[in-house]
Amino acid sequence: MAVRKRDPLTGHETTGHEWDGITELNTRVPRSIWFFVFVTHLWALILWFLLPTWPLITTYTKGILGIDQRDEVQESIVVANAARADWTDRVDALPVADILGDGELMARVTNTAHQLFGDNCAGCHGTAATGGPGFPSLADDDWLWGGDPDTMMETLRVGVNAGHPDTRVSQMLAFGRDGILGREEIRTVVDYVRSLSGAAIPAERAAAGAEIYAANCASCHGEDGRGSTELGAPNLTDDIWIYGGDAASLFTTVHDGRQGWMPTWEGRLTETERKILTVYLQDIQRKATQ
Amino acid sequence: MMSKLTVQERTGAMMISALVGLSGLLMAAAGHNDAMGAHGWIVMAFAAVMFFIVAGKLDMPEPAEDRAASYYDDPTRVGIVIALVWAVVGMFMGVWVAAQLAWPDLRFDAAWSSFGRLRPVHTSGVIFGFGGNALIATSFHIMQRTSRARMPNQVLPWFVLMGYNLFCIVAASGYVMGVTQSKEYAEPEWYADLWLVVVWVAYFVLYIRTLARRNEPHIYVANWYYLAFILVVAVLHIVNNLAVPASFMGAKSYSAFAGVQDAMTQWWYGHNAVAFFLTSGFLGMLYYFLPKRAERPIYSYRLSILSFWGIVFFYIWAGSHHLHYTALPHWVQTLGMTFSVMLLVPSWASAGNALMTLNGAWHKVRDDATLRFMMVAAVFYGLSTFEGSFMAIRPVNGLSHYTDWTVGHVHAGAMGWVALISFGSIYALAPVLWRRETMYSWKAVEWHFWLALAGTVIYVFAMWNSGITQGLMWRTYTESGTLSYSFVDTLVAMHPYYVARAFGGLLFLIGAAIGFWNVIMTIRHVPRRVPELDYPTSSEALEPAVPAAE
Amino acid sequence: MMRLIRILLRPFSKFFEFHARTHYRAERHSMALTIGIIIAAGVGGFVEIAPLFTIDETVEADPHMRVYTPLEQAGRDIYIREGCYACHSQMIRTLRDEVERYGPYSLAVESKYDHPMLWGSKRTGPDLARLGDKYSDDWQVRHLVNPRDLVPESVMPQYAFLLDRRLETDSLPGRLAALRAVGVPYTDEMIASASADAAGQANPLTSAADGVTERYGDATAVRTFDGRPDRVTEMDALVAYLQILGKLTDLPAQIQPVAEE
Ligand code: HEC
Ligand code: HEC
Ligand code: HEC
Ligand code: HEM
Ligand code: HEM
Ligand SMILES: [Ca+2]
Ligand SMILES: [Ca+2]
Ligand SMILES: [Cu+2]
Repeated sequence: MAVRKRDPLTGHETTGHEWDGITELNTRVPRSIWFFVFVTHLWALILWFLLPTWPLITTYTKGILGIDQRDEVQESIVVANAARADWTDRVDALPVADILGDGELMARVTNTAHQLFGDNCAGCHGTAATGGPGFPSLADDDWLWGGDPDTMMETLRVGVNAGHPDTRVSQMLAFGRDGILGREEIRTVVDYVRSLSGAAIPAERAAAGAEIYAANCASCHGEDGRGSTELGAPNLTDDIWIYGGDAASLFTTVHDGRQGWMPTWEGRLTETERKILTVYLQDIQRKATQ
Repeated sequence: MMSKLTVQERTGAMMISALVGLSGLLMAAAGHNDAMGAHGWIVMAFAAVMFFIVAGKLDMPEPAEDRAASYYDDPTRVGIVIALVWAVVGMFMGVWVAAQLAWPDLRFDAAWSSFGRLRPVHTSGVIFGFGGNALIATSFHIMQRTSRARMPNQVLPWFVLMGYNLFCIVAASGYVMGVTQSKEYAEPEWYADLWLVVVWVAYFVLYIRTLARRNEPHIYVANWYYLAFILVVAVLHIVNNLAVPASFMGAKSYSAFAGVQDAMTQWWYGHNAVAFFLTSGFLGMLYYFLPKRAERPIYSYRLSILSFWGIVFFYIWAGSHHLHYTALPHWVQTLGMTFSVMLLVPSWASAGNALMTLNGAWHKVRDDATLRFMMVAAVFYGLSTFEGSFMAIRPVNGLSHYTDWTVGHVHAGAMGWVALISFGSIYALAPVLWRRETMYSWKAVEWHFWLALAGTVIYVFAMWNSGITQGLMWRTYTESGTLSYSFVDTLVAMHPYYVARAFGGLLFLIGAAIGFWNVIMTIRHVPRRVPELDYPTSSEALEPAVPAAE
Repeated sequence: MMRLIRILLRPFSKFFEFHARTHYRAERHSMALTIGIIIAAGVGGFVEIAPLFTIDETVEADPHMRVYTPLEQAGRDIYIREGCYACHSQMIRTLRDEVERYGPYSLAVESKYDHPMLWGSKRTGPDLARLGDKYSDDWQVRHLVNPRDLVPESVMPQYAFLLDRRLETDSLPGRLAALRAVGVPYTDEMIASASADAAGQANPLTSAADGVTERYGDATAVRTFDGRPDRVTEMDALVAYLQILGKLTDLPAQIQPVAEE
């Protein structure tokens, strides 16, 4: 029979086995272990009664609390909305100008808009709403569709060239690609357009450009080049450009056309959220142009 | 090395290599329009190297016929060196991807070097390359020693080791080429998965046959864990990788499962890859090297039983804690949460068993960095399992999930536990294995220990901070009851932590490189010393009665 | 008190005593251990996975759930190839802040045809489950070419090479057939015309485009996703996939009406 030794240090008995010099004590399982086994099992057992837990082939035990994660989140959102209602109701009800004048309400709007703008708009219009190549700045007072709150709300609701049934539609034609104007004609009209915002060009070239402009562009951008908020056609006389005002960018614009795509936010953001963003942009514009 | 193989075995090995090369040829031919073709060439090259290594020594004389009198350690030696190579490669990849998150342009302007493709090279490189090779190599050592028996066959262990490494190479090279199933920790495509099944069956056969030859009535604890590792990983691997290839001429396949069932299967696999690869196998390592190094008996055989079966039974249920609050039905989440918490007890029982074993040897822990590696590993094991059980509680997971907190937890386990126990074991093993007096430099071991510990602590603290910060920022509300921060705000807040993590990782990598160098120097420069008793003997211990608790 | 605890704990240690004795016998036989391990480790997985196939309410019923077009599926395969799931989740959890940030929480039915699912486990970048139509194609292309052009703080890698790579469409029939084998309801016709459909969806000027709307519905986006009608690139496919995310069904919005504030 095996020799069961005692470990001189702890006084515990060994199991009598030995593997490559390794032996084992036969110490009993400490009572604290049983205590934790008991506590964790009890906790689990209680939860199994309270919560949905055990599968039963075609259904599962629902738990006596009747909790389900989906109801819970739905409820937490209803509660959250109710808790915000005190000020969101005011945002809904008041005209934008009044909100802009209400310091306390404006603080809430600005706080809220930071995340809304950051997660939804900043990707295109930039964190500071100053736009970038292909995306208009929202911090100046140059507007494609109009900078008043109602127009802005509508732009946010339906988008531009977006999937919404009422979407705003805008299209800068591809004069070169579609063969309406030749290269030289485009170069000429581009020079003319540059002259509108102050670039110096020879007089006879300006005259030739003006002619091409009047025949092709004026219908959208206006005789004077100041654009049209009806059509979303930009003002070409200021020095603010969506796609760039250098000759090369302008050539590309006129040759290949442009069609900005601004998403509709109706499905993604609530009306209140869109109004908050509108107020926020009005505020930014007000501050930037002061 | 080849001189220990019989000529028959050598020809056998060459035939296997030729067969593997042939399948490589088939892959290269069938997949010539696809990344599978490139894999075919890799397989062929690998097989050719194996073939010619053996062929070059084919006409060596037959070995002496007293093999049964010694253990077969050549595959273990090679396995340890390979494990260290993977450690350096895999951790370098870790440092690189960590740096990419801090400085995203720190890469080549080429598709293969993007974060998404390199991250799995890191995870597979360290888990399967480093961890897997360390497990296979140590298991060869331990199963022979604790069975007092030589392995039954000399070709099989090579097949397992080299076949497994072929799998790892195909996996890692696949990721950089964009070959992946996207299932975390099971990314390799169908042909690699099939190959691993073959290798794994061979591994099981080898293990069980060695146990069958043992000169010892009982099977030692370490072997229970290695056995659980081999068996359960096989089951997990096969089920989770069930897939239909889009064509046998290409790498692409589609998982048999979809959506919610796929998610549950994936995390049943993923979590238990943690349990049976990163835990069970390494506990086997711990159970051998720690008492051996400390020269102390295991604190409690009964605790070993309790924790072993507890781990085997409870872990399996816990996978759904990776899917809290998702479209996975609520009932599965409750199961995952409760079983994860019950799992804490057996986990701590094994960590406690290890630490209590050190009673009477704490002075050695103080003086011997090798033992200290193992001790700290056991502490990190306890820490990460506690953290894991905590994170498995639904509301806690609501905060931690998707954030760096998970990554911090992973590395407390992976660096603090898995890597440290492996390094400790390798330092304990290397002199024995190569019959050397000692390690080349104990000072270097000491350096490695402190670099590894500092690296781990910096890494884990950085990730706790960034994870909790990010989790909280995502759900911070203004006093108006609306979200405070945009996603990009949270991203900006992560930057300093990502820099710190890359630095911690770099320390850890330097440590691993020192370890690699030290082992190589030990092999090359330390004088030989043959240990008195390192060969199979018959058991001295006879069968005791069922030991009653005292 | 101590006595009470002791009494409560007794069943555990009694059971354990039995268990330890059984184990003591089993550890002499490797096969007994093997079988024991397989049984002990088998239970949990079975109990948690099998019922997901038998409990009907696990996956919501939605007859209008649509399948991916070949181009979108090709894009999905690129998303997998590039490892986007390493940074992006596609699973909005049932938590208030996630619903408020990303939109209605994800339903199981939404990934019903996802082999494999891409729910993800890490959000280095934002969740993408409701990305479809959030940005323009042009934005997506420019963002993928260099994320830092549009989002200076971004740590996302550049994927400019996608613009230069022709999409490989020859293998699409095989891929769709494999997907059908695992349960996605592609018809024979869809499989047969998969390559043409992929090209057609990326170029509305060609007659192949008509087949796409015919087979996959009028609502299918047929556009030159990468802005270049002359060829079908990997960028076309990836953007087509990104633009469909969250739009295979509108069930989530129906059962979770946008809570008007
Ligand atoms: C996919 C990119 C994109 C995103 C995201 C986006 N926009 Fe725009 N936005 C545009 C483009 C492009 C235009 C110009 C459309 C045109 O050409 O008329 C525009 C135009 C506008 C206009 C009209 C400007 C004018 O001059 O009339 C407003 C207002 C606006 N965006 C606000 C927002 C807000 C608020 C958000 C977020 C909720 C947002 N945008 C998100 C691309 C985007
Ligand atoms: C059918 C109406 C229409 C006509 C005709 C038209 N445009 Fe436009 N143009 C637009 C619209 C709409 C935009 C804004 C496109 C956008 O925002 O994506 C635009 C944009 C531009 C821009 C870019 C402004 C910027 O900020 O980058 C330039 C330059 C321009 N047009 C010049 C011309 C010239 C020159 C012609 C004639 C050759 C012309 N347009 C004819 C509608 C028109
Ligand atoms: C290193 C991590 C990383 C990888 C890999 C990655 N991304 Fe991103 N992604 C980010 C981060 C960070 C952001 C947020 C900043 C930004 O918008 O660029 C982001 C943002 C995005 C967005 C904008 C989401 C939104 O709602 O604003 C899209 C779309 C996107 N990624 C798609 C992809 C695709 C497709 C891939 C793979 C081809 C990919 N990402 C790979 C990190 C990553
Ligand atoms: C040099 C040390 C290491 C560094 C710098 C490092 C770095 C990283 C980084 C940057 C990631 C990606 C995290 C993310 O996506 O945000 C990662 C993931 C991971 N690493 Fe490491 N790592 C190191 C060591 C290890 C070791 C030793 C192991 C395992 C033995 C390991 C296992 C993992 C795993 C499993 C993941 C995936 C985590 C997840 O999906 O949540 N790492 N590592
Ligand atoms: C009692 C033991 C443990 C429990 C209950 C546990 C629990 C958890 C939980 C809750 C998560 C987060 C899941 C999520 O939110 O996505 C997680 C992730 C992880 N844990 Fe543990 N953990 C334990 C031990 C360990 C150990 C010892 C390791 C060793 C390396 C480890 C490695 C990992 C890895 C790699 C992940 C990341 C998975 C991924 O998302 O890619 N865990 N664990
Ligand atoms: Ca796989
Ligand atoms: Ca195209
Ligand atoms: Cu887990």
